[in-house]
Amino acid sequence: MTAESRPAGDDPRRLLSDVRELAGRVRRDQRLTHVALLVLAAVTFVAIPFDWLFMQVDCDGSGCVFARRGLLYYWPPALLIAYAAIAVRYVRAARARGLGARVLPYAITGAATAVVFTAAYTAAAAYFPTHPPFDGGPLPFWWFALDRLIAPWGLIGLALLVLARLERNVALLLFALGYLALVVLVLPTTDGMNLPGWAVPSFLSGTEMQIRLSMTPSQLIIGAVLLAGGIAFAKVRRGQR
Amino acid sequence: MTADADTPDPSAHPVTGLDEVVHQRVRLGILAITHEARRVEFGYLRTQLDLTAGNLSKHLSVLETAGLIDVEKGYEGRRGRTWITLTTAGSHALAEEIKRLKLLITQIETTRTPEE
Repeated sequence: MTAESRPAGDDPRRLLSDVRELAGRVRRDQRLTHVALLVLAAVTFVAIPFDWLFMQVDCDGSGCVFARRGLLYYWPPALLIAYAAIAVRYVRAARARGLGARVLPYAITGAATAVVFTAAYTAAAAYFPTHPPFDGGPLPFWWFALDRLIAPWGLIGLALLVLARLERNVALLLFALGYLALVVLVLPTTDGMNLPGWAVPSFLSGTEMQIRLSMTPSQLIIGAVLLAGGIAFAKVRRGQR
Repeated sequence: MTADADTPDPSAHPVTGLDEVVHQRVRLGILAITHEARRVEFGYLRTQLDLTAGNLSKHLSVLETAGLIDVEKGYEGRRGRTWITLTTAGSHALAEEIKRLKLLITQIETTRTPEE
């Protein structure tokens, strides 16, 4: 662009394409996708010991009952702190570049997910012990999918969809959809994953320990996926600058 | 012509509805960046539009006089900074300009002769 005025009859296609190009450049400069993903990866990894330590497992002759209290103690404040940290980082980085930030709706969505999770977890813990779903019979797959969607890892994916929309970031949209498919349809995030005997060290044997251990692989995989995504988006950003 | 363009008359050629204040390339660029950024600093605009400070100031002054942007001057530490935000009229004017440009492109494409 030049500083001089051009005739009003300037090529409209070129004008429109300039407008789109400039808007696209601003969007790219405002993005800090890798920071969001790296913070969420860190939060996911830190959750693992909380889940392990605060899980209540009661076993008797008829079987075992477990309650993941660590999820309730850890995730609501962790989500609130994580989304606040992400928002502050976005605003500071944008300001340093001379831009406003578009992160507020994402941070609000993130905070809302903390509330949704807390409400769903508390309601389920109060209601289902006396009213087992489907009369205690086998649960359909959609039930598991819904359960995984309103767990912290599913809610992280939903909030990422909001971020993708705000940033008009197609790569993040694809990442978020893939991530959601993984945590809702593939990984048994809420019901545990049985590990083969050879993968379990002898000091972790025993039914109670097996139950605690069964919740860890899913969280490790989710943390690794978020971490890999964060690193990939950081590399792409570095390449663009 | 004012920034608050009226609804275009469908029978009129779209070029008659173009606002000279907004249609100028640099000013259109300023509005586009400010709309996308919500709030933009003078230095960012200068870099992105590849303008001298004097030229950018002139264009900003035209837009501010037309009521399309707000200019806010302040300090960050010892460094003076100028922030630009789009007014509601500016947002409306930008949307109107883009609508008219699209209309113009459609009109050009539909009235093209086969020889072209």
